[in-house]
Amino acid sequence: MSVDTSGIRLQRYTRSPASSGLAIPMARIALILVPLVAWEVCSRLGLINGFLFPAPSAILNKLWVQSGPNGNPPYAILWHVADSMLRLLSGLSLAVIIGTLLGVGLGMSQRARLVFQPIISILMPVPTLAWTPVLLLVMGIDNRTTILVVFLAAVFEMIYIVASGIEMLNVKMLWVAWSMGASRRQVFWRVIIPGIFPCLITGTRLGTGYAWRALIAAEMLAASSYGLGFMIYDASEYMNIGVIYGGVMMIAALGYLLENVLVGKIEAATIEKWGVLNER
Amino acid sequence: MSVETAKILPLRDGAGTKPKIVAKNVQKYFGNVLAMEDISCTINEREFVAIIGPSGCGKSTFLYLIAGFEKASQGELLINNELVVGPGPDRGVVFQEFVLFPWLTVLRNATLGLDIKGVPRQEAEERARKWLRLTGLSGFENAYPSSLSGGMKQRVAIARALSYDPEVLLLDEPFGALDVQTKNYMIQDLQNLWVEANRTIVMITHSVSEAVQLADRVLILSSRPSRIIADVAIKLPHPRDLRDPQVRRYEDEVTALLSAEVDKAMKRERQTFAGRS
Ligand SMILES: Nc1ncnc2c1ncn2[C@@H]1O[C@H](COP(=O)(O)OP(=O)(O)O)[C@@H](O)[C@H]1O
Ligand SMILES: [Mg+2]
Repeated sequence: MSVDTSGIRLQRYTRSPASSGLAIPMARIALILVPLVAWEVCSRLGLINGFLFPAPSAILNKLWVQSGPNGNPPYAILWHVADSMLRLLSGLSLAVIIGTLLGVGLGMSQRARLVFQPIISILMPVPTLAWTPVLLLVMGIDNRTTILVVFLAAVFEMIYIVASGIEMLNVKMLWVAWSMGASRRQVFWRVIIPGIFPCLITGTRLGTGYAWRALIAAEMLAASSYGLGFMIYDASEYMNIGVIYGGVMMIAALGYLLENVLVGKIEAATIEKWGVLNER
Repeated sequence: MSVETAKILPLRDGAGTKPKIVAKNVQKYFGNVLAMEDISCTINEREFVAIIGPSGCGKSTFLYLIAGFEKASQGELLINNELVVGPGPDRGVVFQEFVLFPWLTVLRNATLGLDIKGVPRQEAEERARKWLRLTGLSGFENAYPSSLSGGMKQRVAIARALSYDPEVLLLDEPFGALDVQTKNYMIQDLQNLWVEANRTIVMITHSVSEAVQLADRVLILSSRPSRIIADVAIKLPHPRDLRDPQVRRYEDEVTALLSAEVDKAMKRERQTFAGRS
């Protein structure tokens, strides 16, 4: 009997993607590849300005060289990526931790909400970059400045989403834990954190997007020697167009990996496994 | 084994004369709405009390007051002669809506109370597995709640409350989501266990047969704002069979009291409805 059901299930699962066939993946890849090929061809045939629009192959070649020992400085791209990641992940981790703590505090206490709501509503819409000049004056051109910008870019979203996640949490889940004699710490780790996990993931995902954008911009203003933003800014000073495009490509690729692959993995291991998404 | 214990202890109420839960003139408002007018009662140690009443009359609210989740607007609630100030591990609750933790497996849901107490994992699992077995959930220990049916979720909730062995069990329509077969089977099984467990049990139900089959006393609540309109002692040994004419007589008595109340409530509702239109 179990064999029968598994057969039925398999069929049901394979049918719906099969009906659309390979059309969607093909279209997805084509949408990226076709413009690149067209660009390459046009550039080589001289139909477009080869200086402003260097061929993709030339850009990739530039990236390759800059990543290797013959780069200027050697292994430049790797250093740029490493520095950007260090700043991004430090700022983002801080934002997730502090944003979660503050969000839980706000969500759990109506009094705190009443007190802090106005200030958060005022600060939240301020574009993060507006802070950069002040931070630069206070801390100088330093990793601390960029990390703080990343933190500010992500933390408000985190606070907001966590606090609203707590408001949506079924109070009776807290009741169950309290009636078992759970301490504050136990309630926090065993009920609140897993209970708002879908919100934590959404907040992290959105926060990563904001943080990434803020980081690149901040590095253009406030990085001394390394970072993808700095790399692009520096290249534009020297009209090094290939490096600019290469930087944009790296930013796009890394942003995709961070937002979709990393966060997506966490999602699959948690809320998808629990079946929380299906229940809604 | 449990059947034999039941025969040795013919009457549960013989054991309990010490007041466990005392409600004195408890009144509950939600905003301007008076949900509970005046409830006074005493539930003795090791007594099994069923509370029955029209839906929306405040049965769940009364249970939440005992559990310490809600505060009475007037009057006082005592447990072991002490004022209830909040929830605590001496009282275990089975919610009408189960309230399982979706991120924990069935087994982890059932061991939660023991985990929180700091009971070693192996012992906790052993005790939880026993209740999962008795509620017919063996084989589902590693399933997540989202994959269970409503009846199974309810049984996990029952196992979760029983596993950590609170002195008082507060059950809010604990068989509401079960199909008739499972329910009868579980009632048969739990009757003996509850006699053995020697716990104070307060069970909310809207089923008269559940109430007379399980309880030592049945409290009947009026419609909102609620008062206790009858307190019927069921002086019969466990396990009880619904086909027993004595059990039937109690069932008829409680049904009569309850339907008189429901009739009254319906009439009142119709009058206000007619008055409005
Ligand atoms: N938190 C609340 N806020 C406002 N009204 C409530 C709240 N909880 C319950 N009530 C009201 O109190 C009454 C009793 O509810 P409840 O105890 O759930 O009834 P029962 O369990 O007997 O069906 C209902 O009319 C319900 O609408
Ligand atoms: Mg109810």
